[in-house]
Amino acid sequence: MSASVVLACGAAVPTRTVTNEELSAMLDVGPAAIAERSGVARRHWVATGTGPSDLGRDAAADALARAGLGPEAIDLIVFATMTPDIAFPGSGCFLQDKLGCREIGALDVRAQCAGFLFALATADRFVRAGAASCVLAIGAEVHSTALERTPRGANVTPRFGDGAGAMLVGAGADAGVLATVLHTDPTDFERFWCEFPSSRHFPARMEMEHFERGLHYYVIDAPALDRQAEPTLTATVAEVLAKAGLGVDAIDLCIAHYLDPRVARRAARAAGFPDDRIVVPGESLGHVAAGGIPIALAEAMGSGRVGKGARVCCVAFGAGISWAGAVLKL
Amino acid sequence: MNARILGIGRHVPERVVTNDDLSSLMETTDDWIQQRTGIKERHWVASDQGPADLAAPAVREALDDAGVKAEDLDLVLLGTLSPDYDVPSSCSPLLRHLGLRGVPAMDVRNQCSGFLYMLSVADKFIRTGEARRVLVVGAETHSTGLDQTTSGREVAVIFGDGAAAVVLGEEPDPKKGILTTHLHSEGKYAKKLMVEAPTALCDSRVTPDMLSGPGSRLWPRMEGRYVFKHAVTRFPEVINEALEATGYTVADLDLFIPHQANLRIAQLVAMGLELPPEKMFNNIEKYGNTTAASIPLALYEARAAGLVRDGALVCLAAFGAGFTWASALIRW
Repeated sequence: MSASVVLACGAAVPTRTVTNEELSAMLDVGPAAIAERSGVARRHWVATGTGPSDLGRDAAADALARAGLGPEAIDLIVFATMTPDIAFPGSGCFLQDKLGCREIGALDVRAQCAGFLFALATADRFVRAGAASCVLAIGAEVHSTALERTPRGANVTPRFGDGAGAMLVGAGADAGVLATVLHTDPTDFERFWCEFPSSRHFPARMEMEHFERGLHYYVIDAPALDRQAEPTLTATVAEVLAKAGLGVDAIDLCIAHYLDPRVARRAARAAGFPDDRIVVPGESLGHVAAGGIPIALAEAMGSGRVGKGARVCCVAFGAGISWAGAVLKL
Repeated sequence: MNARILGIGRHVPERVVTNDDLSSLMETTDDWIQQRTGIKERHWVASDQGPADLAAPAVREALDDAGVKAEDLDLVLLGTLSPDYDVPSSCSPLLRHLGLRGVPAMDVRNQCSGFLYMLSVADKFIRTGEARRVLVVGAETHSTGLDQTTSGREVAVIFGDGAAAVVLGEEPDPKKGILTTHLHSEGKYAKKLMVEAPTALCDSRVTPDMLSGPGSRLWPRMEGRYVFKHAVTRFPEVINEALEATGYTVADLDLFIPHQANLRIAQLVAMGLELPPEKMFNNIEKYGNTTAASIPLALYEARAAGLVRDGALVCLAAFGAGFTWASALIRW
């Protein structure tokens, strides 16, 4: 059985930066209050008509270029998103076409904010089982078209950004994916949910009444979610490091991903990391649910912050409620 | 270690909708529907019931059948194209029904090929020792997303609601269990069979014109002839791929279960493969197309009919929206 290795990562964020000043007029809240409530200073939003598969294509092209590979090298796409291009088929199918891949499998998975780590774990299993020698794992989101741009959205809208990250997971002798842990606890999933369209609503999955009540927007109980996220992220660092047989000192960088970047940073600190070994994607991107971790990883690798042989611990927590961790050796 | 199916369960809503029932909602006839699809009746929900609600009893039956406790599951995969909510994925309400806290769960959104995509994922988790017991469940509540008037008849008559689940575990005999799986996609045809809304491509992703009403973008759109043409090509391709990978031929097969999309497609595929009709199992006449649930729902009934004996070589194959297509070969 072969080991799985990280061949390359890539990222794509839209060029348009949306500041808190810009949101201020739309949401009827001052920029300082937006920063205070969300912990986010700025985010990127797409131009209308750009979907997660478009951002995913750019991130994948970036990763392929860094790996020196063409799209024909890819054996399987695993695409994680909570904001797909259309309801179905999945964004992975669109990506297969846009990237010019062979007629390979395009697996579309949903695990929200932890989605990329679920996709990465799946990619790892395919490679280790010998069923693929190059898997493209993608996390991509276009949240901006799902946000309420009126004062009613003031507590939710500033938190989210658009973007995509990609990782090529290949086969090798020396393990690169050292450990993964995945969890879901549905007990309080209404702390971060979006009820409609809802196939369980009889007789029709969405009616004007639901639209008028804004039930197609994210509803987030941030205080309760924060209280659950912080200790869970800290514990997940310990859990995944234990599975990898490594201590905090052996890790060069911790990428901590959660809706509120301040909570993510506190959780990583509590796990034992000093600030200069913590990266929180949301601080510069806003919350890009499935995209935050691979974008941050691609940026850290691209800037030379982490090099060949570096060990990276990634943890994510979010809707589902699902959370996950991974330890990588680059 | 190979993976094998330890248990199967299924559940469909009580309400049966016959072709004659449909002719009171839209201009259609029993003859027209049967001739084109082979469907006689389907089950549709009659109250607030999503895929997770339908899945829960199917999962309980599959767990009982497997002799596995819910708490012993290491991974839960749910396939649907008609999720309970927009966020989170439907595996979350399913876990709540099952009283599970902490087990990893994700949705797989691969439409008609969803069950086989999940089977392939489950197989890899078991082969790598990352999971010992995996639940794979396909579940759909299509009926709340169908145009049940004459303008939607080409699509509405096809789909049924239902759920079916399998529990997978380890198979110590390398010649038994899931022998091979094959997954494919061709996204250039993604819009030949789709539901557009909600769509990240529109600002905003849900607009009033997308809502239920004539031409709603919440309802599926299908270019049926296109799908048919590709299906009859891809089915034999992916079945032969599985046979070649394992060194078997069509003559070695004891049972073939195609995704239940259209009886005419299945019959053409079997004829093209020169597979004797008695080696193929279909139950679309009773359920319509239940998408992610259709293969395990058929497998359940094929086993009950005595067609899945110990040692049987079983081929499963699917084609559908994406386009995606897939196959699996199992030695029971």
